[in-house]
Amino acid sequence: MSHADHADAEGLDRHQTEVAPGEEFAEEDIGKGIRGYLIGLALAALLTVCSFAIVHAKFVWAPAVPVAVIVFAIAQMGVHLVFFLHITTGPDNINNVMALAFGVLFVVLLIGGSVWIMSNMNSNMMPAMPPSSSPQSSQPSMPMIQPMRH
Amino acid sequence: MLGKLTLSAIPLDQPVPLVAGAVVALIVLGVIAWVVIAGHLPYLWREWITSVDHKRIGAMYCILALVMLIRGFSDAILMRSQHAVAYKAGGYLPPEHYDQIFSAHGVIMIFFGAMPFMIGLMNFAVPLQLGVRDVAFPTLNSVSFWLTASGALLVNVSLVVGEFARTGWWPAPPLSEVTYSPGVGVDYYLWAIQISGVGTLLSGVNLVTTILKMRAPGMSYLRMPMFCWTALASNLLIIAAFPILTATLAMLILDRYLGFHFFTDSHGGNSMMFMNLFWAWGHPEVYILALPAYGVFSEVISTFSGKPLFAYRSMVMATMAIFILSFMVWLHHFFTMGPGGDVNGVFAITSMIIAVPTGVKIFDWLFTMYGGRVRLTTAMLWSLGFMVTFVVGGATGVLLAIPPADFVLHNSMFLVAHFHNVMVSAVLFGAFAGYTYWFPKAFGFRLDEWWGKAAFWFGITGFVIVFGCFYWLGLLGMTRRMQHYDVADWRPWILISAFGVVVMFVGLVCQVVQLVVSIRRRDSLRDVTGDPWDGRSLEWATASPPPVFNFAALPEVHGEEAYWAIKSRAREQMRLREEPAYEPIEMPLNSPTGFICAFFSTLIGFAMIWYIWWLAAAGFLGAFVTFVVFAWRDTVEYEIPASEVAKVNRANRSTRLEALHGAGQRRAA
Ligand code: HEM
Ligand SMILES: [Cu+2]
Repeated sequence: MSHADHADAEGLDRHQTEVAPGEEFAEEDIGKGIRGYLIGLALAALLTVCSFAIVHAKFVWAPAVPVAVIVFAIAQMGVHLVFFLHITTGPDNINNVMALAFGVLFVVLLIGGSVWIMSNMNSNMMPAMPPSSSPQSSQPSMPMIQPMRH
Repeated sequence: MLGKLTLSAIPLDQPVPLVAGAVVALIVLGVIAWVVIAGHLPYLWREWITSVDHKRIGAMYCILALVMLIRGFSDAILMRSQHAVAYKAGGYLPPEHYDQIFSAHGVIMIFFGAMPFMIGLMNFAVPLQLGVRDVAFPTLNSVSFWLTASGALLVNVSLVVGEFARTGWWPAPPLSEVTYSPGVGVDYYLWAIQISGVGTLLSGVNLVTTILKMRAPGMSYLRMPMFCWTALASNLLIIAAFPILTATLAMLILDRYLGFHFFTDSHGGNSMMFMNLFWAWGHPEVYILALPAYGVFSEVISTFSGKPLFAYRSMVMATMAIFILSFMVWLHHFFTMGPGGDVNGVFAITSMIIAVPTGVKIFDWLFTMYGGRVRLTTAMLWSLGFMVTFVVGGATGVLLAIPPADFVLHNSMFLVAHFHNVMVSAVLFGAFAGYTYWFPKAFGFRLDEWWGKAAFWFGITGFVIVFGCFYWLGLLGMTRRMQHYDVADWRPWILISAFGVVVMFVGLVCQVVQLVVSIRRRDSLRDVTGDPWDGRSLEWATASPPPVFNFAALPEVHGEEAYWAIKSRAREQMRLREEPAYEPIEMPLNSPTGFICAFFSTLIGFAMIWYIWWLAAAGFLGAFVTFVVFAWRDTVEYEIPASEVAKVNRANRSTRLEALHGAGQRRAA
């Protein structure tokens, strides 16, 4: 196991080489740290401006606008993760990347699952909404268990 | 001035809770009076209440859990005896009181019995097994514990001041909304669980950080003892799941206090959303409880079989698989409440898949025992009892996970039997196994084996009788949460299960007697070397009880089973490992922050329950000031001089050396 060997070779020094998250910049020079934040800020601002601009722009094909906004939003998250939360692919960053991955997984499971479950249950409900123009929905009651797809 | 609180909040017309409450209050006051008069208060304050030592906090968690388990068990006795007499009659507990009892029983057992026990064991053992000196955030740890205690206190106050929820252990709307539950019962539930839930979340953060960032030199992830792995998975689940519970209950609080409509059935609310969110926490929660117990069994079975854990890596994989899968099955708790066949089908399959990694674990434990020299100590008996009974509980779980079967069995006594079958045999047996296993480490002497075995045999026999009957009652069509009944077919099984509770009660008495007897005979049960069971992981490498700093020098780890390697070398060479170069050790100072924070949280909770707004504001201010004072403290740590460290360590080395030579001579003879 490479991780084990690595830990063994360093022996007792391992504790000194492992820095807590957020402390990374304490040892490096401050200027480099600030530059990173400034680049991040500029990119984040640029992406924000872009998404506002594209909504108002006349020359973009309308159905493409939401797609573009979503793309900008994802890029925005990436910028935050890299420049502000210091997620990298380096070996000392595995914990942070794993934490992020688990967080994303659980949020997707919870929100995705809830939306799916709740909409599925909704479509199995008896029609309680005010009658629409369609003749079917004015029918009296519907058996509860029988699925009714809109 | 006092909000809704008046003298009529004390249920003078209901003798049962009043007498029970009065007895408990008298006992508590008596103990406090004895502590004060005998002059133990300064000691308690200095060494326990303000302690930030993970071992002390772990022990306090377990003591809280033991007391609450007894409280929860007394609720169980009330319910079983009510059923024994309520055949074609009203019994002695009126419905509104019976409903409070089953609600309090579930809440207390899960939140204040099982949870603190597991968290206590993890708190105590994980840093020792990792070979480090404390958890990552020691004062936060104390805050977590006292917040949990604060929640437990609120639930118990509801016994004599006001009432408790009548909704069951999950307060499902619309029943739990103000329209149908106008009293303070649901509010007691909400604030108690919110306060203790924050404590649990903080302790999850603490233990995850400890495991990820603070292992002894050389202890890579795949060299950690199994218990640390299950603790990691369990605490990751706490971090992922508890915020869901807190947010859901916060929404219910908004509904009840400020007229919101998250879960009402009018004005666009949706009560099924509560079900959905609650169980999205609820199913992970059962694995938050079960996983550490699996860890305890792994340690106990490997130690008492004298063999390394079989297929350690498959056990790690199974643990992490359960960790992820447990977040993908929550809908099985409401198959019958409206989802269509496709949704039910998907969640049925994910639920059944959990049985696979669980089966892997069972086989790993069996193969660990295979070919080993199994010692049938009390801890090992609990583990064996778990393996036999848990398989049945898992199988009925898979059965319930088949939606057509669940449409027949949901909310019947069969369901009640299923979850008690798994919760009791995994969590409770695991708690007792861990308690007997680590007790000598915590207090320096072993627990009496004879009484321990008696407790085991009565406990498991009673448990099988009670819940065997429940399975059958479920198949006979009895639903859960009935206050009385008039079906003649059920009567014999209900009476037999009442008898089973008596047997369990004998087991409980044995458990208490065991503790008393062991304390009195502690000199003959003394653990002098620090390794009473011939253990394999690092907690056995230090003295019992361990010094505050746990290890004089952090042990260096060169493979799996760190301590077994050290011990084997010592046995071959007939001498201990080199004495380390002693250095002074910095340890965190004790702090009353946790206790004071919890005091103010209790005030906040009580004030919110009774609508005493000024008191809530005052409590909040007090808690904030406590936090500020703590944040501005000047000294954080104190230093233990190297000479002191050397003295403590040499004392332990000399007893170990003696034991080593004694064993060597026995082998030679
Ligand atoms: C193979 C594993 C398991 C499966 C497939 C399974 C399946 C189920 C299902 C389908 C239900 C809902 C039944 C109903 O409401 O009609 C249920 C309830 C429950 N299970 Fe399990 N289960 C498993 C293991 C466990 C374990 C290990 C625990 C705890 C340590 C546990 C604790 C519970 C609890 C507490 C409830 C009921 C909660 C309530 O309604 O009050 N289960 N289980
Ligand atoms: Cu479940």
